[in-house]
Amino acid sequence: MADQQSRHAFVLATLARGDDADIKQFAEQLLESMGEVEVINNRTGLVMLPMRDTVEGTAFHLGEVLVAEAHIKALGQDGYGMKTGRDLEVAMAIAVIDAAWQAGHEISTIDEFVNTQAEMIAANDNERMRAVEATRVNMETF
Amino acid sequence: MAYVATRGGERAIEQSERLFKQELGTITPAKVKQVRETMPYLVDRVMGEASLYDRDVAALALAQTGGELSEAVLLLRAWRTTQPRISVAKPLEQDELHVFRRISAAFKDIPGGQLLGPSLDYAHRLLATEVLSGEDYTPEPVDAAEKAAPSHQPSVSAWLSSQGLVDDADHDDTAPDDIPDLTREPLLFPAKRAHRLQSLARADSGGVLALGYSAMRGYGQAHPTVSELRLTEAEIEVRHPCGTSFSAGRVKVSQAEVVSKAKGERLERGFAATFGWNEVKCISAATLDLNADGAEKNSAVEEEFFLYHTEGVESSGFCIHFKLPHYVTFQSSLDAMRDAKAKKQTPQMEAAE
Repeated sequence: MADQQSRHAFVLATLARGDDADIKQFAEQLLESMGEVEVINNRTGLVMLPMRDTVEGTAFHLGEVLVAEAHIKALGQDGYGMKTGRDLEVAMAIAVIDAAWQAGHEISTIDEFVNTQAEMIAANDNERMRAVEATRVNMETF
Repeated sequence: MAYVATRGGERAIEQSERLFKQELGTITPAKVKQVRETMPYLVDRVMGEASLYDRDVAALALAQTGGELSEAVLLLRAWRTTQPRISVAKPLEQDELHVFRRISAAFKDIPGGQLLGPSLDYAHRLLATEVLSGEDYTPEPVDAAEKAAPSHQPSVSAWLSSQGLVDDADHDDTAPDDIPDLTREPLLFPAKRAHRLQSLARADSGGVLALGYSAMRGYGQAHPTVSELRLTEAEIEVRHPCGTSFSAGRVKVSQAEVVSKAKGERLERGFAATFGWNEVKCISAATLDLNADGAEKNSAVEEEFFLYHTEGVESSGFCIHFKLPHYVTFQSSLDAMRDAKAKKQTPQMEAAE
């Protein structure tokens, strides 16, 4: 159960940072075999972001983040997508993929798609952090 | 305050707004994209002061106002009210932030080491004037390391705590929905710490710098040394309807913790953070936080003073209202002045007779 939830979190987080065009195209393909889709919500809105202060441990609000949200019912599942920004289509595409994934519909194709996206994100993150590592200060050489 | 009702200005007002917009020209998606991509630090500053994170919307506000920052922030704060609040994310914790820059001026050897990240701190400030003569300026690429830096870093404050140099932070277990929120409740003094830090997070960068700088120059009670400065990316952790907690993406967050010389057995500290990467604002705001407790009433480092005066929309709004018609109030001052002058002259005339 914990593993399933952690994989679910990984799928949603990967789609939230994945390539928008790829995700939309992939969701279009899935939709063809998913039957009826009921849209409960597809809107932009705000997520308030709190942070914990390092001095007294107080949680305070930094401000609000604009997000696009989609909530659908498909294949008997609550499909849900949320992503920073205001692209309603990509939020809807994530919700479609999420509903299919939860229902086990074309699960291996979805997992493969998600893993490919995750690899692209990880490669990009790795490149950025290699550049950051180049700025490490070696105090011995001062 | 009283205003006089006037007629005859409608056409002038309409044309004035048109003139402002005409001089900015057509706003295109390409122009907004260019603002977003070429001026990330300006976009960050505006998002922080607006307390609304979205690079596209912030770049649009900048393009639409021609970079008039007060107007851009006001536009964003106003637009924000058109959007529903969907949820409150999980509070950010230090060891979950993705760290791109972290330095300490107080401690040389901090666990995890010092990463300069993207910075102009040690750069020669030379203007690339060759660009104005038609040449491109292409920066030298980074010689990336073989191995990537770890994404997460331990916080210096946790290390200070383990060394017994500072008081341990209490664990505030307030539920995210119950965290005090300035945008929904009034700011009262003495302010809750959550209100103080939220207010500083959305404060005007220039205002915070001016007041923070006055404290640094000696008008405060404590001189800051940066214990840790961080430029990070934070995950927006939200909940799926079925309960799964997941990240909806990342936003840039900067933070600073400053320390003062120990007055007793513990170091005194101040903290501030904001949306976007804005180091000057964080260090200045943390300095104000450091100096606030026990500050003299009406001094620049007193909480009520600095929170009220660094609220950018209120302060710029109050400032610009002085150019709007004050004919009645000013006329009454003139009347009083003329009356006093007349009374002064009357006895002289009577004496002359």
